Amino acid sequence: MIEVKGVSHQFNIGKKGSEKIVPVLHEINLHIKKREIVAIVGRSGSGKSTLLNLMSGYIRPVKGEIHVMGEQVTHLSEGQWADFRLRHFGFMFQSFQLIPSMTAYENIELPLVLQGMDTLKRKLRVQELMERVDLHDYAGHYPGELSGGQQQRVSVARALVLNPPIVLADEPTGSLDSENEMQLLGLIHELNRERGTTFVIITHDEQVAAIADRTVALADGRLKPGKEQVTYEV
Amino acid sequence: MKFKDQLRFVRQNMKKNKSRVFMTVLATAMGCAFLIVLASVGFGLQKSIVDKIVGDRLVTAITVWGKKNIDQQLNAEDLKYLKSLNHVKAVTYKDYIMQPLVYTSDNQTMSTDKTVAVDFEEEAKAGFALAAGRLPQKPGEVVAGFHFGKTVIGPEDAARSEDKRADKERAEGWIGKKLTFDVHQLVNGKKESFPQQVTVVGIKEKPKREWLMDTNIYIEIGLRDQIEQLTGTQLGEMRIAANGNEEAYEPRAFDEPRNYNSVETFVSKAQQVKETAETMREKGYSIHSIADEVSQIDVVFTIMKIGLVFVGTIAILIASIGIFNTMTMAVTERSQDIGIMKAIGAHPRIIRRIFLLESAWIGLLGALVGTAAAYLLSAAVNTGVPLLIQAFMNEKVPQDFIFSLIPPYLAALSCAISVGVALLSGARPAKRATRVDVLRALRRDV
Repeated sequence: MIEVKGVSHQFNIGKKGSEKIVPVLHEINLHIKKREIVAIVGRSGSGKSTLLNLMSGYIRPVKGEIHVMGEQVTHLSEGQWADFRLRHFGFMFQSFQLIPSMTAYENIELPLVLQGMDTLKRKLRVQELMERVDLHDYAGHYPGELSGGQQQRVSVARALVLNPPIVLADEPTGSLDSENEMQLLGLIHELNRERGTTFVIITHDEQVAAIADRTVALADGRLKPGKEQVTYEV
Repeated sequence: MKFKDQLRFVRQNMKKNKSRVFMTVLATAMGCAFLIVLASVGFGLQKSIVDKIVGDRLVTAITVWGKKNIDQQLNAEDLKYLKSLNHVKAVTYKDYIMQPLVYTSDNQTMSTDKTVAVDFEEEAKAGFALAAGRLPQKPGEVVAGFHFGKTVIGPEDAARSEDKRADKERAEGWIGKKLTFDVHQLVNGKKESFPQQVTVVGIKEKPKREWLMDTNIYIEIGLRDQIEQLTGTQLGEMRIAANGNEEAYEPRAFDEPRNYNSVETFVSKAQQVKETAETMREKGYSIHSIADEVSQIDVVFTIMKIGLVFVGTIAILIASIGIFNTMTMAVTERSQDIGIMKAIGAHPRIIRRIFLLESAWIGLLGALVGTAAAYLLSAAVNTGVPLLIQAFMNEKVPQDFIFSLIPPYLAALSCAISVGVALLSGARPAKRATRVDVLRALRRDV
C-alpha cells in the first residue's frame, strides 16, 4: 500500500549562505500493508512527523522513493499531488485543522466540494457520516462552538467522507481528554475493520499504539531495529 | 470544483470582511463612474457638434461641384451617368430662376428673392421633407420655404411681429394660398411682363439650424420651362440692353444645352458614400460629402475619446491598488484556510481561481454600481451645466446640445476595463495564495 524506500531527509536551517543542514531521516525503509493500522512512535524530534509529511507529499525527500498504491509519488508536481491526495488520502491532525468560518457540515463537505460532487449526493454522504460520528445535531455549528472531541470527530468525518483507502493521522488524540481519546480510537478501529481503511498514525501515546496492528519506532531519524512488529491483534 | 461552489466560497469569503470589501467596491465604482462620465463628455460633444455640422444635410449626400476642378459645369450626360452609378438612389439639382420674382397674395407682397426649380420626383427619393402639405404634382403648384411668410413687406410687417402663433402653425397657414407674380423680359428693348399664378401645396420642413431662414419658393421643372419659354432664355434670365458704355447682354437661349447647379447625389447608406465618392473622383468629378467632413471630425473626436478613456482608466488603475491591497490582505488572513484546503487536496488552480473570481467579482460590482452612478451623473450634467452656463455666464446653450452621452458600448467597455483591471490586480495575490506553504499554514512542528 505504502512503500518507503531508502528515504532520507534534511532541513536547511538559518539564513541563505550560512545555512545549517540538519538531517532528520536516514535511509528509512518501511512497508505499510492494506487494511493495516500502523502507529509510528518516537520522541519529539525523532522525525515521525517528517516521515508523515513525506508520505502526504507536503515535502519531498532529499533521497529515496515513496510508492503509494503502486504509484511512484516522489516526483509528482504540486498539482498532481493535490489530485492524488484527494483521491487516496484522508487526513487527521492534532489541532483538527477545521476551517473556522465553515460549519461542521461544510467542513465535512469540503473534500466532496473539491472533488466536484453534486449537491444532493454530497448531502447524503455528509449526513450519513455525521450520523456515524454522532454529530447530526451539530451540522450548523462552527468549530468554535464545538468541544475538542466533537471537532476531532468532524475532522474524522472529513477525512473519511471520500472513502479514502488511506488515512494519515498526526497525533489525532493529542488534544483530547481520555474519554474522547477512547471514543476516537474505538471509531478508528471500527472504521478500519468495516471499511478496510489503512491508518498511519503518528503518536507518542501508548493507548493509540495499543490499537495498532503494528508499531514502528523512530529514534534520531532512524527506524529502531526490532520494533517493527505487530503488537496488538483484534 | 464546480463554478457555483467557487462562487459560494467567494461570497462567504467576502462576507468575512464586509466593510473592507465595501470600500474596495466603492473605490472601483468611483473609478468606473469617472471613466464613463469623462468619456461621455467626448461622446456628447461629438454628437452635438456633428449634429450641428450635419444639420439638414444628409450624410448619404455627395455634392458634385463640377468636373475638372469645378471649371466644367455638369450637363445632362453627367446627371445620367451619376444616376447610373451603383448605390445612387437619387440625383438632385437646383435651378435658381435668374430674375427676382415678387409674389403677391391677398394684397400682401413677399420680398423673397429666390425661386428654385427642382425635380420633385428625385427630391422625394432623396428625402425632401415637408412640414405640412404635399409635393407639387403639376406646374401650377409650389412648395414654400418654412419662413416664406416672414418675407411679407409693408404694413403687414407690424401685424406679423404681433402674430403670436407658433412658427409651424403660421407656416401652415400658407397652404392653399394663391400667389401671383410677374415674369419680366426685354422684348425689342422694351420690358414686358407676363403675369403668373401658382398655388402653395406644401411647406418645406424647418431648417435644423436655428439661424437659417428658408424663404424660397420651390417650383416644378414644368413651371421653369414655362418661364423659360416666356423669357426665351435659360432660367428666365433677363436680357440687358446696350446703354452707353455698357454692352448688350444676351443670355443663353432656353433650347441650348443646359448646365446643372447644386447637384447632389444620394446613396442608400452612409457606408456607401466612400465607395461612390471614390468612383466619382476617379471619373474627374469635383465632389464633397458631409461624410468626408464628419469622418475627419470623427477622427479628432475618436482621438479625444481614446485620450479620455485613457485618463479615466488611470482612475480605475488607482482603484485597482485597493483591490490588490484587499486581495493581498485576504490571502494573508486566509492562509490557514488555504493551507487546510491544500492539505486535504485542493488543486493550486482552484485556489487561484477562487481568488481571481473574488477580485473579478469586486471589479464587476464596482463596475455595475459605477455605471449606474455614471448614468445619473450624466443626466445631472446635461440638466445642470446649461443652467450653470446661463446663470453665471449669461449665455444660452443651444437647444438639444448634449454635454454627456453614454452609449451602451461605453458602459460595456468600462465594465470590461474594470473587471480586467480587477483581474490583473488580483492575479498576484491569487498566485501568492497558491504558494501558501501547507506546513507553515497548519503550524505544524516539522
